[in-house]
Amino acid sequence: MDKQKWEGRLIDYIDGRADATERAAIENELLHSEAVRNLYNQLTEVIGAMNEARVLEPSGKLKANFEQALQEEIESQARPTKTVFFSPVVYRVAAGFVLLMVGLAIGFKINQNNVEADRLVEIERKIEENRKVMLAMMDNQLSASQRMIGVSVAYEIEKPDDEIVNVLVKTMNEDVNTNVRLAALDALGKFSNEEQVRNELIGSLKTQKDPVVQIALIQLLVKMKEKGVLNQLEKITRDAGTLKAVKDEAHAGILKLS
Amino acid sequence: MPKPDKSINLMSDEHIMEAVKNGNLQQASLLFDRFHKRIFNFLVRMTGDRDVAEDLTQNVFLRLLKYRHSYNPEMKFQSWIYQMARNAFADHYQKQKQLKPANMEVEKLHESLPDLTEALEQEETEKRLIRALAQLPDDYRELLVLTRFQHLKYEEVAGFLNMTVANVKVKVHRAIGQLRENYFELENA
Repeated sequence: MDKQKWEGRLIDYIDGRADATERAAIENELLHSEAVRNLYNQLTEVIGAMNEARVLEPSGKLKANFEQALQEEIESQARPTKTVFFSPVVYRVAAGFVLLMVGLAIGFKINQNNVEADRLVEIERKIEENRKVMLAMMDNQLSASQRMIGVSVAYEIEKPDDEIVNVLVKTMNEDVNTNVRLAALDALGKFSNEEQVRNELIGSLKTQKDPVVQIALIQLLVKMKEKGVLNQLEKITRDAGTLKAVKDEAHAGILKLS
Repeated sequence: MPKPDKSINLMSDEHIMEAVKNGNLQQASLLFDRFHKRIFNFLVRMTGDRDVAEDLTQNVFLRLLKYRHSYNPEMKFQSWIYQMARNAFADHYQKQKQLKPANMEVEKLHESLPDLTEALEQEETEKRLIRALAQLPDDYRELLVLTRFQHLKYEEVAGFLNMTVANVKVKVHRAIGQLRENYFELENA
């Protein structure tokens, strides 16, 4: 008897995985072969013992320790956010710096028509440099607070170019930090009279998964009186995976826009 | 402390983990409630030590929080957390080279079994099963713990062990064969 082969066949038989032909062949062998019968009895006992093994209960301290660790993690996550929100001076300074450079450039253009061309070029270069710094800050994957500052500086710009809009849209849709996504949404809301921005905001409602951002986005689109999102809002109200709070906001949005 | 939204109780593990990944950390409590017992039992059977298994289970859920940004929503959450449990066990095993299956604290584990009022015969059966299991190589023991004690399907196990379903089945059969030999050798010892 090939023991390993028979073990495989008998395990399938015990597990209920053998088809009718195989079952008949095994049952016939069980009647006539003592060796196969013994193997079957032993396998049945071992498999039965595993099936009946008790489920062990961990001690209560496991849950308590996890909850404590979780609260610590939640608090540590909230800390840098608070620093940014309650210390607006940090990004106001950065925003002010960019605005100062913009103001200087405009001032020079208005009041000093005869300013040397190379000085204007130099100022423009500095403005471009600051713009790059702002974009780099928004792209800093290691620091949520840096990205927050970058977004806040972008918020201060009067008329953003396509590149800035694209970075803000990407931040709103993909940033790992909810607060940074919200800040990007806020900045885009300011530029919502631009057609590209408007389309991006409408498109984001279809893909946005973060409930906090979803709610803010619905509120903004309703404020913009964007009736083109009515179908999407209805879809949200019917989506089983969407949180109740988001659905409620979508319902309220439908009422206001209809 | 804010309570998790009740409607989230109906959500899939993957949706909840996505919410955790997106910063809604409180929802990790739900995943802990759903999985901690399974992970604890997996680790108890792998280590043979309740205290170590509790520490490692704690470690698995801390990893969940720490590495939440790396979770891929397209991956089954169950596969992801079992993979972390396997990593936690492997790290522990590396640190404790002296911890060999033969040295497992079988008696200690048995003493902590919950229902001590069961018939003596059943106690003896389970005690022998634990010893026979402890004598298996790690990969065989892991396959039996996952498929027979935790009742995961071959397809599910194949997914996170990076094996084919056919290969899982063959190895499970061999593991049961070897367990059977160990088990009845212990009976005659």
